[in-house]
Amino acid sequence: MSKFVKIPLVLLGTVLGFFVVTFTVYFFNLDMKATSLLAPFLEKWYDHLERKQYI
Amino acid sequence: MRDLKHLQYFEDLLQVANNALITQAREEGKVCVAYTCENVPEPLLNLDRAFSIRLHAPHTGSMDIATYYMTNLLCEPSRALLERAIEGGFNFADCVITPDGCTMMNRAVENMELLKTMGKDNPNFFHEYMEIAFKNTDNDVNLAVLQCKNHILTPLHEKYGIDISDEAIRKAVAEHNEICRLIRAIGDFRKEDRPRITGYEYHVITLASYVCPKHLIKAKLEETLEELKTREPDEKQPWRARILLVGSEVDDSDLIKLIEEQGAFVCCDRFCFGSYPGRNEIVLNDDEDALTQVCRHYIQNCQCPRMMNMEKVYGRKQYVADLAREYKADGIIYEQVKFCDPWAYERTLGSAMLKDDYGYPVLSVDRPYSIASSAGQMRTRVQAFVESIEIKSIQRGGKA
Amino acid sequence: MKTVQKVVNPVRRAGEQSPGKIYDPKLKVRARREWRGVKDTFYDYTRWLYLMSVLGRFIIVPRNVKGFFRYRWMMSYLFVPHGMDKFTVGLRDEALRLAHTSFNFVIADVTQAIANCFRGDRRVGNDKAYSDACVVTDENSMVTFMMGFDTKKVHTILREVPTMFASNIFHQFNVMHYLDIAQQYGISGDVCPMPEAEAGISIDDDFCVLGCCAVQNNTTCDGSLMGNGIIAKRLEREYGIPTFQLATPLRHKEPDVMDYAAQEIKNAIAFVEEHTGVKWDWDVYFRAAKRVNDATRCRIAQLEINSTPYPQFFGAAFSLYNDTNYMGNSGRNADFVKIDHKLLALAEKGYREKRMYAKEYRHRAIVWGVQPQYVIDMLYWLVQCWGVMPLTDMLSVINTDMIAEEDTPENREQAYRDMAMLNMEMIMRNHTHGGYKVLLDDLWELCEKMNADMVMMWEHMSCKALTGMHGMFEEQARERGIHIMWVSHDLCDPRVFTRSAIRDQVSAYMRTVMREEPLDPSLENIPDNEAY
Repeated sequence: MSKFVKIPLVLLGTVLGFFVVTFTVYFFNLDMKATSLLAPFLEKWYDHLERKQYI
Repeated sequence: MRDLKHLQYFEDLLQVANNALITQAREEGKVCVAYTCENVPEPLLNLDRAFSIRLHAPHTGSMDIATYYMTNLLCEPSRALLERAIEGGFNFADCVITPDGCTMMNRAVENMELLKTMGKDNPNFFHEYMEIAFKNTDNDVNLAVLQCKNHILTPLHEKYGIDISDEAIRKAVAEHNEICRLIRAIGDFRKEDRPRITGYEYHVITLASYVCPKHLIKAKLEETLEELKTREPDEKQPWRARILLVGSEVDDSDLIKLIEEQGAFVCCDRFCFGSYPGRNEIVLNDDEDALTQVCRHYIQNCQCPRMMNMEKVYGRKQYVADLAREYKADGIIYEQVKFCDPWAYERTLGSAMLKDDYGYPVLSVDRPYSIASSAGQMRTRVQAFVESIEIKSIQRGGKA
Repeated sequence: MKTVQKVVNPVRRAGEQSPGKIYDPKLKVRARREWRGVKDTFYDYTRWLYLMSVLGRFIIVPRNVKGFFRYRWMMSYLFVPHGMDKFTVGLRDEALRLAHTSFNFVIADVTQAIANCFRGDRRVGNDKAYSDACVVTDENSMVTFMMGFDTKKVHTILREVPTMFASNIFHQFNVMHYLDIAQQYGISGDVCPMPEAEAGISIDDDFCVLGCCAVQNNTTCDGSLMGNGIIAKRLEREYGIPTFQLATPLRHKEPDVMDYAAQEIKNAIAFVEEHTGVKWDWDVYFRAAKRVNDATRCRIAQLEINSTPYPQFFGAAFSLYNDTNYMGNSGRNADFVKIDHKLLALAEKGYREKRMYAKEYRHRAIVWGVQPQYVIDMLYWLVQCWGVMPLTDMLSVINTDMIAEEDTPENREQAYRDMAMLNMEMIMRNHTHGGYKVLLDDLWELCEKMNADMVMMWEHMSCKALTGMHGMFEEQARERGIHIMWVSHDLCDPRVFTRSAIRDQVSAYMRTVMREEPLDPSLENIPDNEAY
């Protein structure tokens, strides 16, 4: 396969792959689902931080 | 102690908003200027034939109608005043002058205006709303002067022909100062180790000076002062602690009585319409017009939480600490009427700073307008506070 | 009672018809994103990608990572895409583009604000030179007093915006922690939760610490004014940052307050000059003034479109953009001009093509009062579930007067008055303060002008200025034959009124008073009380 065909094909495949992966993440809201799993751990982290609390 | 000769008289004057002296003054042809906020310069409401009456609503029970108009989320004083106005309890007023100080009180008066609760038979009746100062700068003094001209002096002159000259202002200030001197002199007896006046008695007298025409109570105040000079305090003092009371307006003297029944002598008052700073004398010079000086006095002396520059914010706490020292207070009670935004914050910051920066024991409470609806709760809080002061005193090696 | 003609959408919505299906009670986010047809789903997807790129570019900076793990409120920004979903529920065509254009711009602006905070923050970036050129202001600041300072030399940091205001939009529970702290330290639970939360953040030491000075104001309410003292105490005494309190008169319609207000602006400018060492530049000011006027003209045009049977501008994305532009920008950033015109062009196209947001419009409503932060998508729900078209909200009804924009000696003096006027007429307070006329009479005039038969009255229970006129709203609406629908909430505390409790008030009114059934039953009971 010539270079002139291969490069566009690779590019197309990359773009298509990127699209399929990101669109799947987007449409099924996987980004926010993953984040919501992370949130309770983060809350614990913030709870344990030392703070100089006063009025 | 023997009862004060005129205590009952003063107490009676506080039983209704439209007390006998207001009727008497109006029959003398005087003009009744009603107001709702301590930030209005009082002498300017007492020029010439005018006399000031601070609106209050004694023995408030149901506030259903006012609650319909303003919901149950607004402070009780504002609703109590509106309810009383709707009932016709303030029909003696010839005008109402209100500063846009705290939002809730402003809304209460706006509702009074929209509902036409007053002035039905008086074509000259008017409502005026004032912008009041936020800080203690020259710019604020200029604002106050302009606001007083536009919203007090001009309407009083145009509607009722009141003399608003510099001489009239100086005369009103002189009369105002006479009342201040009397109230302060009576209050000074609270500094004594064996005080010959209770906080309750003093509150009744002070409140009367705001809700009655001053010229009609002056004689009784003078007599009371004379009587106090020879009044013998009880041998055995009932007080377990001396308390400085700070916060939003106290229209219900029963609150003071309740605190004192727990053994806490209210040795000083720093609340809206108390004697500090409301009964400070206004000192005038001859170099500057009286109006500007009166406005400057109110701005410099103002202890209202809405004064927002930090000099004032810190200054208010220093003022409380100075009073506590002067009156030998063992502790401070910061109180606020429920739903009062300005005092909700001031109470929090004040109670923290007076405790942390000045070392005073502080009780921080909210309360209803009429203490009767929450007496048990307040009694418990004050009892606990008094005991905690006593315990601290014992720990420091003092007597219980 | 007043009635308006029903407008029926002849075009069936592309994609799915019942967006209520994307909610899942077991999840704290949407089960999936909405299918809006190929064209609009692809557009929405590209906007999602853009947001991801904005967030990605932010988080690759090491100091931002450090800030993320230092400040609790930063967790909210993980849910920005979730916020985007809230802002675009059920939208198609121009409406979707309007929402994305405004929302994405605001996000970029807020992200930049956070990055700026972290850069100067003594705990995070600690760029002292940058911090020394920063002036910290309140969340509710009209930054008109900064209009004449070159943005390259002096940076305006509205540090409460990303910390409290915006973060609550993306994560409904995030403010609760700060409210609890504030109340733990004694502030009553009955004050407005917004300044209370800000005070709580200060008490919890969760604000970024930067700036050579700070300017506070009293623009919104007694609570906001009072919260300043607590915040300023820490700024001054612990961090040594001097504060200036910019007093803004309440009775802004009275001419006798103008001199005072203008002098306060001068004093604020002098304070900033003193602490930054940078002089006020009239060229910079008048360029900003031109942009302010341009935004005003766009806003007037928007209102005109909304007074027709085919309104285009409404909802959270738009009002949030409007807030940011009017208050936080005040003509200082030229990028807003492009966005203003882009939004207007989109709206004009939508109007020409008679685009509608729902199957039908049964009622035309003015939304009055203050919206809850945590049910930011409510107006989209209102139109799609019940066919009640919100024509404008109180927070978007702001100044329509032009200010002086040519640099002349007279206009330089006028400029202080213009800045003072804008400051006094800040969003919300231009109606909640200044006497009952601006709250009541302005509403009825707007109903007339925009041909509204209904008022949806947000009753923010801690907003005393609004609730203090409750009875008068009722009586005057009755006299005018306007339906008034009360919807209570507590601004940013979902424990007081949950999202469904808020929506149920509308549903109850529509069923019992209006005797109507929902346009989209799938939306009536959305299980999102536990969602972020």
